[in-house]
Amino acid sequence: MSDRGQKVVIVPCSGIGKTFGTVSREAAYKVTEDMRPADTELVALSLLVLGDEDAREAVSEHATVTIDGCKLACATKMVQESGGTVAQQFTVLDAFRRHRQFKSQGIAELNEGGKQLAHALAEEIAAAVDGFSGNGRGKEDA
Amino acid sequence: MPDLPKKKVGIVACSGEELPEGTVTRLAALKVLEQLRPADTVTICLPLFLAGGEGDRAFARFYPTVAVDGCDKRCAARATEMYSGKPAASVVVSDLVAEYELEQPEGKRRLNDAGQRAVEVTAGWVAGLVDDILGRPAGQQAELATELAEVSEPEGEEAVVATCSCGSGIPIQKVAVNGRVVTLIALPVIFQQLHQAGKRPGDDMARELLEVVKIYNPIPREEEQDYTEALLREYAAFCEKQEAPA
Repeated sequence: MSDRGQKVVIVPCSGIGKTFGTVSREAAYKVTEDMRPADTELVALSLLVLGDEDAREAVSEHATVTIDGCKLACATKMVQESGGTVAQQFTVLDAFRRHRQFKSQGIAELNEGGKQLAHALAEEIAAAVDGFSGNGRGKEDA
Repeated sequence: MPDLPKKKVGIVACSGEELPEGTVTRLAALKVLEQLRPADTVTICLPLFLAGGEGDRAFARFYPTVAVDGCDKRCAARATEMYSGKPAASVVVSDLVAEYELEQPEGKRRLNDAGQRAVEVTAGWVAGLVDDILGRPAGQQAELATELAEVSEPEGEEAVVATCSCGSGIPIQKVAVNGRVVTLIALPVIFQQLHQAGKRPGDDMARELLEVVKIYNPIPREEEQDYTEALLREYAAFCEKQEAPA
């Protein structure tokens, strides 16, 4: 049995060649390190690809939120392939449609628009996490 | 021989988000793709070997591949071999950190100076492997990695976007060979190039066709005749389709 308790697992896209991949990763870090560190855990997609037992257990036994960087939806597909159920899927493209003023550029380093988009997405994810973990916190805790 | 697309080297980074070394792999891969060897390299996201289609899984059989891993779990190297093809070479960041006596990289989101130095060393090492695979004499990984670690180059040049193969897939075609359906990598491109070169399907080009297909596909010697017959049949069908009135 893992010691994850009721943590929500966050699985971002591991995209390397497009700016939305970087946005998905930055949003995941914001949630797991800044906004909800006690309630969330980041699981790397590469571990799921390899079939790592601990990573598979994490996504199969905990509420899992995926963040996909493109329409190929690797994060969502890999969680499902690994025996997990996606509690909620976020996509960067949808987030961009909701926040068109934040135009993301850059892969190694996001521009200001990319950082703002990641922050907006992270706030949405944090709210979802609150719903799954039942702590009822609002954005003001972020 | 037809002018097939230029052979490139595929870079597959683990991109492990839970470790600073994973960030090193991603940034090192980007540096090779965008700055050090932009004309010679292409990449794909590791998860596409499972989440993608057959064309994505053909990646490491089409491109000789360098796997770049952050730790000794070697997710990129092992998953590439399991689902696509054995990498031509691989590198593990934690091994390079030890070998070059670098300080431990820290910071998954923002690498510290040691992490940036590890990026330089890893990128130099990978660029050297690319040169080796492409048969270039400059492929002295250790020298290049040391040089890059000592003198970090300015990054003021115009940005080149990494050539990302995600979703584009490698062109494949299923062919019946002696009653068995096999998947042949790059066949549509080979046919296209031969047709553009004015080659007509026939015995006089059969050997050439087989040899080009063998560059990208393992064909057992004892089955070469069966493959040749199948390839000629498929190429004839391709030409007929190309030349049919619209």
